[in-house]
Amino acid sequence: MRKWILCFAALALVLGGAIGCSSDEPTDEGGTAEQEAQPLKIGSLSPLTGPYAADGNDIANGVRAAISVVEEQGGIPGYSEIEFLPQDSACDPKQAVAAANKLVNEKVKGVVGAYCSSSTIPASEVIVAEAGIPMLTPASTNENVTERGLQNMWRVCGRDDDQAVVAVQFMQDFLDAKTLYIVDDKTTYSQGLADNVERLAKEQGLEVIEHDHVNQGDKDFSAVLTKIKDVQPDVFYMSLQNSSTGALMLIQADRMDIGADIVAQDAVYHPQLIEIAKDAANGVYLTFGYIDESTEAYKEFKEAYAEYGEPGAYSGYAYDSATVLLKAIEQAGSTDPQALREAILGMDFQGATKHISFKENGDSGSNYIIRQVQDGKFANYWNPATGETY
Amino acid sequence: MDFFIQQFINGITLGGVYALIALGYTMVYGIIQLINFAHGEFFAAGGYMGVIILSWLAGQGFMQTHPWLCLGLSLALTMGYCALLAMAVEKVAYKPLRHSSRLAVLLSALGMSIFLQNGLMLTQGVYDKAYPTELVSGAVMLGGVRVSVMQIIILGVTASLLFGLNALVFKTRIGKAMRATAQDKVMASLAGINSNRVISMTFAIGAGLAAAAGIMVGLYYGSVRYDMGFVPGIKAFAAAVLGGIGNITGAMIGGFIIGMVEIMAAAYVPHGGEYKDVFAFIILIAVLYFMPTGIMGENVDDTRV
Repeated sequence: MRKWILCFAALALVLGGAIGCSSDEPTDEGGTAEQEAQPLKIGSLSPLTGPYAADGNDIANGVRAAISVVEEQGGIPGYSEIEFLPQDSACDPKQAVAAANKLVNEKVKGVVGAYCSSSTIPASEVIVAEAGIPMLTPASTNENVTERGLQNMWRVCGRDDDQAVVAVQFMQDFLDAKTLYIVDDKTTYSQGLADNVERLAKEQGLEVIEHDHVNQGDKDFSAVLTKIKDVQPDVFYMSLQNSSTGALMLIQADRMDIGADIVAQDAVYHPQLIEIAKDAANGVYLTFGYIDESTEAYKEFKEAYAEYGEPGAYSGYAYDSATVLLKAIEQAGSTDPQALREAILGMDFQGATKHISFKENGDSGSNYIIRQVQDGKFANYWNPATGETY
Repeated sequence: MDFFIQQFINGITLGGVYALIALGYTMVYGIIQLINFAHGEFFAAGGYMGVIILSWLAGQGFMQTHPWLCLGLSLALTMGYCALLAMAVEKVAYKPLRHSSRLAVLLSALGMSIFLQNGLMLTQGVYDKAYPTELVSGAVMLGGVRVSVMQIIILGVTASLLFGLNALVFKTRIGKAMRATAQDKVMASLAGINSNRVISMTFAIGAGLAAAAGIMVGLYYGSVRYDMGFVPGIKAFAAAVLGGIGNITGAMIGGFIIGMVEIMAAAYVPHGGEYKDVFAFIILIAVLYFMPTGIMGENVDDTRV
């Protein structure tokens, strides 16, 4: 009896496999005689697990929101639907490269990501340099992302060298700071930014008392904060990779009453920061891209994003990245890398986060301003172009 | 001088947390020679259970009227919950493997750690959860030194739990049974001790202490995250080894040393914040080089559990 069952099982497997294969064949050979509509595959790379999962999920959700808007308007001609393949890069270069290879094997036509600059750079070597697939980062601000001469590497957010300029200008012109204490958490992003700030501050004649480092995943910053309290700098520049470390540091700084103005940056910008640090977050300054929330495009984004909750720091940039990609595929009428590059270079429209147009090197320009946490909200605070408060 | 005292207080606060977690590693190792890699997850689970209970109490308005009662209640419930969780983990993942190779149990512990951490992530989400911290705001100034109320609470709770544990192990019947099982499991069971029950109790007590540490850390730092168990777990494990794994007093001393070295390295060594973990582990290696059994590792037979 058992033998019979086994035989049947084996037979069923073989048959099932054969049927599966035969039915797969025609769809695999895309664009044959019948021109059967296929799904358009686009991927994303962002940390869906690990310490940066909050920002990473915001990015995936931003792409989802952009896809839902395009699908609602009738989708992209020639494709049955848009298939989204979110991959977990875990802010780990090794995993990012593995995920990038997976996306290439899945034959995606474009990728939004990654989050950490240290993942974006190696992943783009696979996706852009080897496979020629366009990649748009919504969040990686390190200069080298677009400084390597890749033809299809685009950046929708700003750059750290621009961000550092605004931060130092603000410290000097508005806060009238003479001394500065810098702490970073040793990622490509946070340390790169902190190094830029240190260099610029020294050029501008500010005294950098110390440039200290902490480890990612630490919870206790009492030692370094006690040091800051002891030396009494005018400004404490807190360069961290994510908002949850930022919240921990702000709570402890508040309890210790360190007494310096705190300046942070875009990676710390997240509703979570205020939710966790509560009153301790009040008064903190951050450099962040200026977003005009009164535009139609922003309202459309906010509505499409509603089902995922409040937009995080990079939700809007991810939404714009995906929108650029989908628009480019539609306008180019093909997924040929060169055609896509031309279509993306020709972009000129109002996105949710900024006016979108790209330079030859893939940057889309920075528009950093200073925001401040006021009464539990991020408020526009200081405009570097005019030197005035909003 | 104020700077040193301030850093010293930071050091013992952190050390107290490591000591509480380290006890679980050392007790379990003492009794079944297993390095329970899932132990850090009990700490994380405690942090989460604490935030769930305290947020509910705060929502009901009890937190504002009876803050100390709420703290005590959440501490007791959380410790109880984690004790039960640890007993369940032991039944499911370790007991069936008790007679197989040590490596099998070790792998099972690693698997359990990943399982519990992912369980937390899936049920509680990837975002940080904020603790209601109204209870613990404020600080006391002693000269130029600022001691926050939360640091006082951590030190108080840690000290009472450490004394309580010492009394339990050295003064009670169950403590005697634990010590006997640690010395010789077969002989102890021949003498009428139910070793299964003793092992279960050991897991429960260790996890209870880790849960208390979890709730303290949540209140002190203001938030918890699903992967919070990993790093403190490793540090506490180092503390247990430093103190002489299997030895209760050793784990306490080891915890305080690791916490203190970390803080002092960050405070006094240039760029120390970056290398504080390196210093903690250098101390560990140095001690093990000269005393391979750890600081308190000599009198293994009398006091290990």
